[in-house]
Amino acid sequence: MPSGATLASRSASSAVAKVRAANVVGTDTQADPSRPLLDVRGVTIQYKTQAHLITATYRVEFSVLQGDRFVLLGPSGCGKSTLLKAVGGYLQPTEGEIRLKGELITRPGPDRIMVFQEFDQLLPWKTVLENVIFPLRTTGTLGAKAAHERAMHYIEKVNLTKFAHSYPHMLSGGMKQRVAIARGMAMEPDILLMDEPFAALDALTRTRMQDELLALWDDTQFTVLFVTHSIPEAIKIGNRILLLSPHPGQVKAEINSVPRGQENSNDAAALGREIHDMLFSDQIEETPNG
Amino acid sequence: MADAMHRENIYSETLGPEQFGIIEKPLTLVEKIYSQAWLRKVGIIVVLALAWEFYARWLDNSLLVPTFSDTMRAFAAGFGEGTIPSRALSSLEVLLIGFATGTLLAGLLTVFAISTLIGTDFLETMTAMFNPLPAIALLPLALIWFGLGMGSLVFVLVHSVMWAVALNTLAGFRSVSTTVRMVGRNYNLNGLRFVGKILIPAAFPSILAGLKIGWAFAWRTLIAAELVFGVSSGQGGLGWYIFESKNQLNIPEVFAGLLTIILIGLAVENVVFRFIETRTVQRWGMQS
Repeated sequence: MPSGATLASRSASSAVAKVRAANVVGTDTQADPSRPLLDVRGVTIQYKTQAHLITATYRVEFSVLQGDRFVLLGPSGCGKSTLLKAVGGYLQPTEGEIRLKGELITRPGPDRIMVFQEFDQLLPWKTVLENVIFPLRTTGTLGAKAAHERAMHYIEKVNLTKFAHSYPHMLSGGMKQRVAIARGMAMEPDILLMDEPFAALDALTRTRMQDELLALWDDTQFTVLFVTHSIPEAIKIGNRILLLSPHPGQVKAEINSVPRGQENSNDAAALGREIHDMLFSDQIEETPNG
Repeated sequence: MADAMHRENIYSETLGPEQFGIIEKPLTLVEKIYSQAWLRKVGIIVVLALAWEFYARWLDNSLLVPTFSDTMRAFAAGFGEGTIPSRALSSLEVLLIGFATGTLLAGLLTVFAISTLIGTDFLETMTAMFNPLPAIALLPLALIWFGLGMGSLVFVLVHSVMWAVALNTLAGFRSVSTTVRMVGRNYNLNGLRFVGKILIPAAFPSILAGLKIGWAFAWRTLIAAELVFGVSSGQGGLGWYIFESKNQLNIPEVFAGLLTIILIGLAVENVVFRFIETRTVQRWGMQS
């Protein structure tokens, strides 16, 4: 399914990534912009429920470059979250392989930090500061003092300095997600994996969180793999969008999003319609069959 | 009226705060006092004590029911000469040994249970068998195995504590959300570090509930066991004190002994466990 056309447009964006990677100082010692940071090759994922063997994704291919804001977009049931969990190392593909910096992913690790949709991802028995310090200390990334400093730095970045000593249950949903993002970023992972992190927020907070995430990205140009089912969110957050069809998830298209800050332009609206039509065509095909 | 298209916009004036009679008014003293839960409970206890006193005086048979004042006098005397404190301490010492051992074993058993499938089956089968069995029913056996002394008491105590704590801890571990587990694994936590840094704190409300139940079971079992044979290393505990006093027909002292048991129970529940709760699960917002 991924045709030559998508590959051609891909090389255009990799040139952008090359320029971008050159601006990033010291985030990756072996930064070779031509080689993808994350490489997903022919990944089929199957899992068993009580009564069924379910194929979640079928031969999905894509690669994420350093500094990408790569979005996995699709309706529910397209296996995008499953795919993200496989990148996280929580699941093993039945077929194909996932490589990070050329290394095969076999289990979870702190080089890929997950940010979940659920608010309970923060450890309720730790304060905001302790939550951000926790992975830095347990993985032995930093010493106590350095971990404290770095945690405060990222808490400040998400504007929660005043709440550093609050417990998670005192925070609103949006603040909890900001802590989770700060905790992920403080680890300075190779790639940040975000599983619909704003889906459980109210519309106003969601928009603000999207803006804040983009501002953070402008600041440090981290690589992020972002899962969503919202077309506007995908266009706004992503620079590259992978469109998945449902049951099982297959790549329908891999396209460039509109440039940063143009998510309200006519181009964005046209792109939204294009994506919508691609998703909608599936439903038309599906209805007569079943 | 029927024309939905031609309704006018409606605007209304709201009243300013100065136009209201009451917005905020302090409660009266009586209302404030009545809203204090502990004061209401003290009130109930006072009423019960008075009822006891009047009934005992009306009955006028100190061998059946001594008056409240006699009981308090016996309690004060027992405290004054040091019998009640020393008996209570002797009971508490055995209790703590049994409780700590039982909790420790429960912890080991639960860790074994969550790490292997067969361990889970083992714990489930054992708790299904032994949790409904009153620990005191094992006392005759314990007396044969461990003799007349501390060993037998600790054995039945461990038995009463272990299954309740293990059952609650396992339930707590199981209810830890998938998200929190995934967060832990994301940071390379596994094995005992995962249990210590993720599972135990995340399951702490359940574990604490298990400890409370275990404590109550242990306390009851101990007093009952002491009533059967209380002497260990030359000195009996509170159960033995009650038994002895009954044999000497010192009924006010029997009541004083019962009162001591109640007071210790209340103190542990409302001071020790309350303290742990406010410092942990309440501060973390895991319990309201």
